[in-house]
Amino acid sequence: MAVPNPAVDKVPTGYKYGWHDPEMKSLHVMKKGLSREVVEEISRIKGEPQWMTDLRLKAYRHFEARPMPTWGGDMSQIDFQDIFYYVTATDKAVQSWDDVPDYIRRTYDRLGIPEAEKKYLAGVGGQYDSEVVYHNIRADLEKLGVIFLGTDEGLQKYPEIFKEYFGTVIPPNDNKLAALNTAVWSGGSFIYVPKGVHVELPLQAYFRINTENMGQFERTLIIADEGSSVHYVEGCTAPAYTTASLHSAVVEIIVKKGARVRYTTIQNWSHNVYNLVTKRAVAYEDAVMEWVDGNLGSHLTMKYPSIYLLGERAHGEVLSIAFAGSDQHQDAGGKVIHAAPNTTSLITSKSISQGTGRTSYRGLVKVYPGCHGSKSTVRCDALILSDEARSDTYPYMEIDEDDVTIGHEATVSKVGSEQLFYLMSRGMNEAEASAMIVNGFIEPIVKELPMEYAVEMNRLIQLQMEGAVG
Amino acid sequence: MTIQTTQIQSGGLDATTVAQISSGEPGWLRELRADWWGTVDANPWPTGAEEEWRRTSLDDLPRDGGLLLDPPMATYDLDPELAARGVIFSDLASAVREHGDLVKARLGQNQTLPAQMPFWGRSLAAWTGGTFLYVPKGVVIDGLLTARTSLPSGTFTYLPHTLVILEEDASATLFEEVSSPDGQAVWFGGTADVQVGYGARLRYANLQRLGDGVWRIGAQRVDVGQDANVTTLNAEIGSAISKVGMDVRMTGKGGTSRLLGLLAAGGSQSIDFNSCQDLIGSHTTSDLLYLSALYDAAHASFYGVTRVRPEAKQTSSYQECRNLLLSPKAGAEPIPVLEIETNDILRCGHGATAGAIDPVQRFYAQSRGMTAEAAERMIVRGFFERVVAQIDSEPIKARVLDALAARIGSVEEEAA
Repeated sequence: MAVPNPAVDKVPTGYKYGWHDPEMKSLHVMKKGLSREVVEEISRIKGEPQWMTDLRLKAYRHFEARPMPTWGGDMSQIDFQDIFYYVTATDKAVQSWDDVPDYIRRTYDRLGIPEAEKKYLAGVGGQYDSEVVYHNIRADLEKLGVIFLGTDEGLQKYPEIFKEYFGTVIPPNDNKLAALNTAVWSGGSFIYVPKGVHVELPLQAYFRINTENMGQFERTLIIADEGSSVHYVEGCTAPAYTTASLHSAVVEIIVKKGARVRYTTIQNWSHNVYNLVTKRAVAYEDAVMEWVDGNLGSHLTMKYPSIYLLGERAHGEVLSIAFAGSDQHQDAGGKVIHAAPNTTSLITSKSISQGTGRTSYRGLVKVYPGCHGSKSTVRCDALILSDEARSDTYPYMEIDEDDVTIGHEATVSKVGSEQLFYLMSRGMNEAEASAMIVNGFIEPIVKELPMEYAVEMNRLIQLQMEGAVG
Repeated sequence: MTIQTTQIQSGGLDATTVAQISSGEPGWLRELRADWWGTVDANPWPTGAEEEWRRTSLDDLPRDGGLLLDPPMATYDLDPELAARGVIFSDLASAVREHGDLVKARLGQNQTLPAQMPFWGRSLAAWTGGTFLYVPKGVVIDGLLTARTSLPSGTFTYLPHTLVILEEDASATLFEEVSSPDGQAVWFGGTADVQVGYGARLRYANLQRLGDGVWRIGAQRVDVGQDANVTTLNAEIGSAISKVGMDVRMTGKGGTSRLLGLLAAGGSQSIDFNSCQDLIGSHTTSDLLYLSALYDAAHASFYGVTRVRPEAKQTSSYQECRNLLLSPKAGAEPIPVLEIETNDILRCGHGATAGAIDPVQRFYAQSRGMTAEAAERMIVRGFFERVVAQIDSEPIKARVLDALAARIGSVEEEAA
């Protein structure tokens, strides 16, 4: 039985993105709860090779053996036996928009996916519950050899690539929640960009949770071969339900020599979701990896996109933005591990807390011995909008090399009364003035987003700010 | 100086030892020691899982050395005129004998950060030395009060406790220096409880020149009263392992604290500080500046928390930790944490850096005819200047620079 979540009672019924499609029906709905049998059943339904079944079972044993993390946010209300671990709406992913079932298409219509496609975005992979239901890659990308599939389909079609890379960046025993994901993963995106290929337009996928108490455990694997480049964009909105829901994804990215990957997430889970995600990239010689991570929704988010700089002159960037309203805790940040000489990194974090919300920046910069010439800058700014809001900064640094330049700086501030007064003297009301100041505060990150997302981000901030007093 | 045989209690620290050092003491102190021993006996030793203990392992702490029973006492020089006005400056044991009621009311009444409680409790149970300073209401001491201690050779445990009390509008500058010979496995667990009252002003400097075999496991608690002004300086030069927890409580409205640190380490030394600047009262200010220069395979960690409580309005705070890495094997882990629970703040932030000497600075100095070594000395000395310049007592500054010269070399020689 789920513990009532006080946060959910406060979710207004008119929540803009929180609706539930009554016609939705799932073909495979397992019983709630997790066991060895559930893990085996997921693998059997998917018709996976034996090595994947074995990997899932190995991960399940790690999940069972590990205690719950005691740091970060409060996870005590998560009941792992009160969650569905596998639900699918269609049996297999489809290639054409026309083949997508009506009720799922309506879901996407409300999210505006076709519009995004009309804007010549390169491809759309939508995730409805746990399986990828829709895929469309522009023909020219296919000709270039770019693979953009649901992860399940990717495993079936390209088992040799999978076996080489899957679970190498985030091993099954990495942490309790990554172990859980490895045991029960379903869906996600699989991208392979061949040598020297530049994908000019962003690849997009939408993720939704749509069955009450449905855990979503998508698994994304991106491989950018030597000298290639790709930008992957993932955005989430979810219906507002009345009991706690769990989202625990794993994203693994391999950026080979001279390649460049940018991974952009805008996330607006409804306020009952526990969002506990492990995201990690490895960057080889002269490679560039960038995480752009926006966290607006959820009850608790714990997410620290990380980059292992393994080759000389590799560069990593994490741009993180977090907005926590009442009863929300955004525990987000970034990690960069300098494991090769002359590597550089930049972490920029902007967080805003409002009402009784809490934002925490938690990050790590580690420089191994011998990584001379490494440079890293970490910059964290927090804006606290109410007297009851809270902001924390936990920046870890472990420097074991002298020939480096490592710096960290943080500021915490409130919206200044002079700033508000100035804007209000120009005819704005207080909410508009505050929203403008907040939008200015997050501008350095928003300008890095694709245009549709930048607009959505500003709109979401505005929605969040309604009723907020600076 | 007279040579005296050092008395060391045999065996490790236990209830019997605590009872034994307490024999002949007043009943209230025997009880106080027993109570504190009860708290540490019941509580587990840090396991290394605690955030503050992740970077220093206690596995090799020399904990079997007997307790140092008759530590060499510092000479507590006090102007008779000040003594006549009620100032007390002595070792803690003498203060217990001569001013029992006063000490009884203030000794061992406070706890400190959970991470340091095992050591705070051990020190309060088994102290055999330490300084006591009491400055009555309105008494302003212009001169410097110095307590300098040289520990003997031998393997032992020494857990002195210093108690500093400044009453309303009092003012004082206290300098404590401790040194010991190299090559001795010693557990030095000095603690300090500093209580600064309404409108009082305290400068409190600690110079640590312990030998290269010493484990210094320390704890300081500072209570800053309303409109009080406190500056603390920790200059850490010696010891094998140094782990100190600073618990700074900005309790009273309008209080100010400045927390300064100078850390110079070489060899395989490890220095690990954790701090909590707890802003509880409104209109309080707390600024921390710790600078470390790390040679050879030395390692410095700093885990500092600034906490602004919901009820603390209009506070200002900053935490800055800079590390100069002077060898490829040197390392630093600065972790400045903010926990801000109100939006009504004037200023709050932190900065942390780690890196080598800027090659441009080095090149410039050498282009002016300095040797590489002289250039490095001068740059390190310049790096420390931001703290050194804030030491407003010339005798303390001279002692600190003298101690630093042992590690970084003397810049003055170069100039001459």
